[in-house]
Amino acid sequence: MTRALLRHETIFAVILLAALALLASRSDRFFTLDNMLNQGRLMAEVGLVALPMTFVIITGGIDLSVGSTLGLVAILLGVLWHNVGLPLPLAMVLGVAAGGLAGLGNGFVITRFRVPPLIATLATLALYRGLAEGISQARSVRGYPEWFYVLGQGDAAGVPVQLWVFLAAALLAGFILTFTTFGRTTYAVGANEVAARFSGLHVDRAKLLIYTASGLVAGLAAVIFVSRVSTTRSDMGTGVELDAITAVVLGGTSIFGGRGTIVGTVLGLILIQVLKNGLALSGVKGDGTIVVIGAVLIASTLLSNLFRRDGNG
Amino acid sequence: MKLTTGTLAFTFSLLAGGAMADSVWTGGDSLPTNPLACDATPGTVAAQPYNGGAPTNPPDRKGKKLTVVDIPKLIGIGYFNATSKGIADAAKELGNVDVKTDGPTKANIDDQITFIDNYITSGVDGILFSANDPVAIAPVLKKALSKGIDVVGYDADASPEARQWFVNQAQFNGIAKALVDNLAKEIGEDSSFAIVTSTFTTPNQARWIAEMGAYAAKCHPKLNFLETVEAQEDNVLSFNQASTLINKYGDKLKGIFGMTSVATPASAEAVTQANLCGKVAVIGLATPNAMRPYVNKGCVKSVVLWNPVDLGYAAEYVLRAVADGVLKPGATSVKAGKLGELQVINGSEILLGSPFVFDNSNIDKFDF
Amino acid sequence: MVWASTGRVARFLQGYGQEIVVAAAILVLFGVVDAVNPRFLAPVNLNTIFSGNAYIAVAAIGMSLVIICGHIDVSVGSLIGVLAVIAGTLAVKGYPVWVAWAVPVVAGVACNAAIGALIAYSRIPSIVVTLGMMSILRGGLISVTGGTWITNMPAGFFIAQMRLFGVPLPVYFMLVLTAITAFWMRSFTAARAIYAVGGNAEAARTTGFSPERTCIFVFALHGFFAGIAALLFATQLQVIQSTVPANLELTVITASVIGGVSILGGTGTVIGSTLAAILFGTISSSLIFLNVSAYWLRAVLGLMILATVLVDMARRRRSA
Repeated sequence: MTRALLRHETIFAVILLAALALLASRSDRFFTLDNMLNQGRLMAEVGLVALPMTFVIITGGIDLSVGSTLGLVAILLGVLWHNVGLPLPLAMVLGVAAGGLAGLGNGFVITRFRVPPLIATLATLALYRGLAEGISQARSVRGYPEWFYVLGQGDAAGVPVQLWVFLAAALLAGFILTFTTFGRTTYAVGANEVAARFSGLHVDRAKLLIYTASGLVAGLAAVIFVSRVSTTRSDMGTGVELDAITAVVLGGTSIFGGRGTIVGTVLGLILIQVLKNGLALSGVKGDGTIVVIGAVLIASTLLSNLFRRDGNG
Repeated sequence: MKLTTGTLAFTFSLLAGGAMADSVWTGGDSLPTNPLACDATPGTVAAQPYNGGAPTNPPDRKGKKLTVVDIPKLIGIGYFNATSKGIADAAKELGNVDVKTDGPTKANIDDQITFIDNYITSGVDGILFSANDPVAIAPVLKKALSKGIDVVGYDADASPEARQWFVNQAQFNGIAKALVDNLAKEIGEDSSFAIVTSTFTTPNQARWIAEMGAYAAKCHPKLNFLETVEAQEDNVLSFNQASTLINKYGDKLKGIFGMTSVATPASAEAVTQANLCGKVAVIGLATPNAMRPYVNKGCVKSVVLWNPVDLGYAAEYVLRAVADGVLKPGATSVKAGKLGELQVINGSEILLGSPFVFDNSNIDKFDF
Repeated sequence: MVWASTGRVARFLQGYGQEIVVAAAILVLFGVVDAVNPRFLAPVNLNTIFSGNAYIAVAAIGMSLVIICGHIDVSVGSLIGVLAVIAGTLAVKGYPVWVAWAVPVVAGVACNAAIGALIAYSRIPSIVVTLGMMSILRGGLISVTGGTWITNMPAGFFIAQMRLFGVPLPVYFMLVLTAITAFWMRSFTAARAIYAVGGNAEAARTTGFSPERTCIFVFALHGFFAGIAALLFATQLQVIQSTVPANLELTVITASVIGGVSILGGTGTVIGSTLAAILFGTISSSLIFLNVSAYWLRAVLGLMILATVLVDMARRRRSA
């Protein structure tokens, strides 16, 4: 199986290199260190959300509510600091914790009530976004202290701060998925949930943890986002879930579960980001970029299916 | 069975709880309002020092060809198609400006920021924008300024220090006064009205509604506000929401404000399909093409309060003047092509002029 | 309730349990809101609820078929936007009205049949293909139209505004198409193929159904319904926007799912999805009538969806 997996990642890496070369040839401002680091900064929020999404999809589930959780945590951060008067660090921690709670809610509905993940997260997509709108009463919170902006707008050793956060998270996620029992449980649940259960694995606990992590990380992404744009709005994060899912699927994770790697997800994220940026730099307008990304998604999955021998979809 | 009744009961109790609506004026923001006088006395605008930002070490662009990008809130709605046309017209007249309009397909700050960021990297000379959120867009605009790019806004402003100039179609309180006065004239002082807006987080709409509330309370105290509904930028949703309002209030509803170029035609359509043409007034912002059928039928008496094509046109001329060094901080007016001299107000805002009203007599002359 | 747990009544309740829950929710809302404001059940408002949401119900018929077959389509919103613009453009350019009506439906069938073929023969999961198509259609629409709206369509084009015996045409479309499809699903072999393939594709293959051909067939049907939905959507107003309606696909999928179609495939009926679309319209309208603060609108909607889903799950567990 490792060989087949490596096949997809290598194909993908080749596609990525080809795209980089093509885009670099169309604009000399594309392949500069400055631009690449900047893209890393812009990619961090979707990137963070895509990491636990990989786990979720490997288990055969899906989480459509991450964008709404992001919006909810953003609003809570502002409200807890400004309206309730808590110190900002505490508000940040509580906000992220609330994200985890939201994810736990998802996990609870999915494991305890056995609602299919698509439906459960479709409902919480509306519910959490609605809570964000209701709690915020359409007011934005702005005027944060200077140190807060370092997270989203600052650099550390020349590299954007959130890129460091993302790299650390990616390494952690990759380690967990590949080298720990939990990672193997994740794959097992996705490959055959009934068999996993009968083998004595704590399937429900694993799922609960994964969905909670998805919410927690969405909360972290929310804090970074607020820091980057220096304000809170209840419509933040709309569409993030589809971007994350696209990146995960592009990276080789099967939507049916049982297969996928963090490396693939990161490659997928990079490809989408360089496409959005490179195409814009070579003069393609926004609508054209959307079309290309859609086509790339279908084409690359087609290509990797052609090379696959084991016949799974 | 217990679970069923339990969840249903819980849901309905929540409904009941939510039914205790909060303040009467929903849709307005909470910033201080400044209603104008009830008669025709124009508001006084105290001269203010320049409060816009400045680009860092801009190259000398005087007389040279400019590459400009226009990034509105979203593309694909009539209003921004019109501003885009104005910008393109101005560019053609100037002859030395290369401009294109690009933007997100949804009114989303994150997408808009990414667009601006990409164009900064690609090295444009100037950026024109209409912001989805004044504060959220500030960091990326400041970045543009720091790279020596000229930044001018129109329609929806950013924080002043994030751009050099802002072309304002009209003062918020001026728009509010015109809207409310026109409605009161059509439906009478002792009537009720409702508002259809986009979302509660769009800054312009929220400001207008707040100013309208303050002005109505001051000068038309008997006008009764019923409620505001959200309809995003979706015209089928706007139509459904407006229809529901008409259904809910029946005879009590005499007028509807449409706060966006999507909401107004949809509200007019709702009134037409309910056979209430002439009995329920519809007033608001919209483009002539969308409103022509209703104005020609007499269903809507007057439309729009400024000319978006002129707005885009002025914005482009302002950007050229800034790039050429002709328009400097502290100036009191600027020449904008066929629009003549435009006044500078509030330090770094350029006022387009008095509101423009489309009605039966002139609506056929426009095509946008 | 002994009589409810035996025999034909019991089987009816079990087979149509979810539809009954949704219908009950609609009736309860009618009762509650009408008590607060009697104008809620006035013919004009019922017209707004039924006619205004008919296009969602029609699109949900097609979506239900796709989900029963074990697939999903997240591009339906974008497709409806594109087909609506095609219809409007043809009408404005002077083609006969029936052409402006027929071409989008044919285009919908063709486009979705192609998607179905891609899914069937390339083994790419339907969510991936339709995610990609959603982007392609959305961006392509803006590229082609340049963002301009379509206005000045001829008067005979507005099929959604026509009435027959005082009832708007969209309501007829919704009811008739639902009834025909529901009947067809119960009685014809081709329909049974959809259920079989959705339940277990390989087992279906051994009984003689071809999953590939069924997939193409189902998506083509879905395209037909999307085309009709696009016509109803496009002709409600005098202008057609050139942007894709936001979140339409989520609404349609939610309607199908709430209506009882199982996301795992193999079960469900289209009557449920139509009822669910009507429920959504009822909820939206009732929230305005009940003066629910607009800020809490979406939260209440989300809560109701969650409540309906939990009730359904509890019901399934009890009867399992």
